[in-house]
Amino acid sequence: MRDTDNMEAEMEYDDGEEEPSFSDPEDFVDDISDQELLGDVLRDKPQEADGIDSVVVVDNVPQVGPDRLEKLKNVIQKIFSKFGKITNDFYPVADGKTKGYIFLEYSAPSHAQEAVKNADGYKLDKQHTFRVNLFTDFDKYMSISDEWEAPEKQPFKDFGNLRHWMEDSDCRDQYSVIYDSGERTGIFANDVKEPIEVEERARWTETYVRWSPKGTYLATFHQRGIALWGGEKFKQIQRFSHQGVQLIDFSPCERYVVTFSPLMDTKDDPQAIIIWDVLTGQKKRGFHCESSAHWPIFKWSPDGKFFARMTQDTLSIYETPSMGLLDKKSLKINGIKDFSWSPGDNIIAFWVPEDKDIPARVTLMQLPSRNEIRVRNLFNVVDCKLHWQKNGDYLCVKVDRTPKGTQGVVTNFEIFRMREKQVPVDVVEMKEGIIAFAWEPNGSKFAVLHGESPRINVSFYHVKNNGKIDLIKMFDKQQANSIFWSPQGQFLVLAGLRSMNGALAFVDTSDCTMMNIAEHYMASDVEWDPTGRYVVTSVSWWSHKVDNAFWLWTFQGRLLQKNNKERFCQLLWRPRPPSLLTQEQIKLIKKDLKKYSKIFEQKDRLSQSKASKELVDKRRTMMEDYRKYRERAMDMYNEQRPLRLELRGVFVFSGGVWTIIGEKN
Amino acid sequence: MWDTKNVLTGSADNSCRLWDCETGKQLALVETNSAVRTCGFDFSGNIIMFSTDKQMGYQCILNYFDLRDPQQIEDNQPYLSLPCNESKITSAVWGPLGEFVIAGHENGEINQYSAKSGEILKVAKEHTKQINDIQSSVDLTMVISASKDCTAKLFDSTNLEHIKTFKTERPVNSAAISPIMDHVVMGGGQEAMEVTTTSTRIGKFEARFFHAAYEEEFGRVKGHFGPINCVAFHPDGKSYSSGGEDGYVRIHYFDPQYFDFELEA
Repeated sequence: MRDTDNMEAEMEYDDGEEEPSFSDPEDFVDDISDQELLGDVLRDKPQEADGIDSVVVVDNVPQVGPDRLEKLKNVIQKIFSKFGKITNDFYPVADGKTKGYIFLEYSAPSHAQEAVKNADGYKLDKQHTFRVNLFTDFDKYMSISDEWEAPEKQPFKDFGNLRHWMEDSDCRDQYSVIYDSGERTGIFANDVKEPIEVEERARWTETYVRWSPKGTYLATFHQRGIALWGGEKFKQIQRFSHQGVQLIDFSPCERYVVTFSPLMDTKDDPQAIIIWDVLTGQKKRGFHCESSAHWPIFKWSPDGKFFARMTQDTLSIYETPSMGLLDKKSLKINGIKDFSWSPGDNIIAFWVPEDKDIPARVTLMQLPSRNEIRVRNLFNVVDCKLHWQKNGDYLCVKVDRTPKGTQGVVTNFEIFRMREKQVPVDVVEMKEGIIAFAWEPNGSKFAVLHGESPRINVSFYHVKNNGKIDLIKMFDKQQANSIFWSPQGQFLVLAGLRSMNGALAFVDTSDCTMMNIAEHYMASDVEWDPTGRYVVTSVSWWSHKVDNAFWLWTFQGRLLQKNNKERFCQLLWRPRPPSLLTQEQIKLIKKDLKKYSKIFEQKDRLSQSKASKELVDKRRTMMEDYRKYRERAMDMYNEQRPLRLELRGVFVFSGGVWTIIGEKN
Repeated sequence: MWDTKNVLTGSADNSCRLWDCETGKQLALVETNSAVRTCGFDFSGNIIMFSTDKQMGYQCILNYFDLRDPQQIEDNQPYLSLPCNESKITSAVWGPLGEFVIAGHENGEINQYSAKSGEILKVAKEHTKQINDIQSSVDLTMVISASKDCTAKLFDSTNLEHIKTFKTERPVNSAAISPIMDHVVMGGGQEAMEVTTTSTRIGKFEARFFHAAYEEEFGRVKGHFGPINCVAFHPDGKSYSSGGEDGYVRIHYFDPQYFDFELEA
């Protein structure tokens, strides 16, 4: 009670007194800045510079009189408001017509940048293609110095002859071998007698290697990125920094390389996939990537002019060298499941599944025109796979269907004849499940493995010119799960890899004969050389921990070499660039083949006999040395005879004399 | 023993026993502290050696007993006992005149141990992994060593000079020198425990024949379906035997072509 009484007392004002003043004293200067007080408001304070950054200049605008000005403004508004809110516009006029260029102001500089990015180059009509620039850019370009400074000269890096390996006088192809569980990588030249080591380095790559499509470069993988090597001595030609890179892909022309790393993606700066210019080493463009499950994500057109990728309901096609979207927009294709380029032309094949009452269909689209040159409707489709023949002459679409009223899945091959008018399609019905399918490169046959283990069959079909597709031959009871055609066609290897224990069958499809049946126990890989003369089967340490080796066979299935390599991992043939010979020249050479054969046979015989001679000489020397050693050993043995006899109680040494026990001296 | 009167056996039952060949009667017993790995008579038949394994705290020891002094056996007192500290002995044979024992070790080394003084007379460090077997030529002038490093090597017995190497892709468990031809035979394969993915097809494990001078393989004999543990030529050189993990001993007699066969030289 007492406290409250006191407070009340203090608060009492005397009657008549003025209210206490709450004003600052006259000379008071506060020490709070505007920034602290009004920071958030100040941030939004309009600044002089802002206005200019949001302005764009649009050129090549139609020049119209006042009667059509309203319509023009509407069109401009429609086009340019896509990028942001237009706060201001200015249409300069001269002699009663608009000058042909206008100024647009957006509410933010980012909108202006979007407008430049997307509307520059926009074709309004035949005569008017907009040029859009930032207003500030004009200033920048105007103030470029008049003095021209010559760019710094970069020293010429001479990598030597990048095609050096093609000049081997005996036409030996090269291949890379990774062994020692990845610690060592070697490059060998393929000689029939035994591999000739060209280069070998420890820790050349951290995981595996890849050759470029024409064989010019060897790519190695490292934590920091990839490196390209080439030339006679495999010098480092280029390096691309992409932390954590896992996968790469080359454009067919070798001008670009695409790298993927799961580490580098951020929302603002897509860096999961990067496309590089091989010769300059420049980063051309980065892309997002959700998953690398179906690498390569970007598929290249055969001439390297376009590359494309598929995302949800969208097909995005980009051009080189600009790296921009073709026609500045992606294609909306609802439900697109898969696509691939023809290996011979700029044609994309893609398929979409059934959608309500629209049947599934396969479409062939020509680029860059985007003309649909063929559409094929398919019914009751479960799945499709696209298989192009190597030259783009044929497309096979493997269609898995569940026919109406049945439960099971049936497979058809829809064969598109690309070289014929209107691209006719023929259907081959398959009675059994398909294990593997492969086109003959450079030819018009295909091979199919079908059935179910243990009853697996292989069938060979020929796509004839008369519109028929003939079944040439079928072999049953095959131990195979993969088909490997020779890159030149005609010959192939049927292999039962991994779980099928390495069964091999060598087939000549010109008359469908089995040339040889053999085995490379536990083989995990089959690789043809680029000329189609040799086949390598190998047991990789990555799949099987013992007996790691690679075996060399002829195309007919004759075993030439068994090369055991400690913890062998991978062998890859070096691809060859396309031949420089014209078709006529090749025909001529084939005509004169007998003449060339004779020369080569003679050379082979000489080299064989040289090998035999070397071997024979080596053996002779070894035998001589061994004989000499044995002679010495036998001499010593004979000298020691008395000692031996003594040891066994036959001789005794007494009185300075050796005596046979039991005999009187 | 050279006159085939007696047989010397060593076992993992921690003993080394001497037997009468004809009657099967045990003539002598030497108890040891750990398993007996290898044993043998010297050329005279008077001295025996055996090595014990490094086990259960006990060292690997090379023991020499003189049979002419029965007290040594009775008291279990070898006249010479050599401990091997570094790497245990895996296989051993006597030298040509009983002066030393040639022993192969777990670390791939081959040493000559004097039977008189116990000192190491010669060393050969040619193999990179464990020696699985050492056998002598019939005249004892050479020995062949079989190693886990997938090679077999020929050495001169007296000076341990490395003469030849025979290379394969599988660990070699045993090797022998033909008494009448310039041939050696080798048998091997992964130990059953170590790897379960070697080819288990019937008869895949092979005995391999190499030319002793050219170091080249010239023949293989299939038949075993498990790794081969031991090979030996018959003293007349007309046949050979192999014993394998599969529990079989196989005896093969050579065709006439085997004796005529020559590599081009």
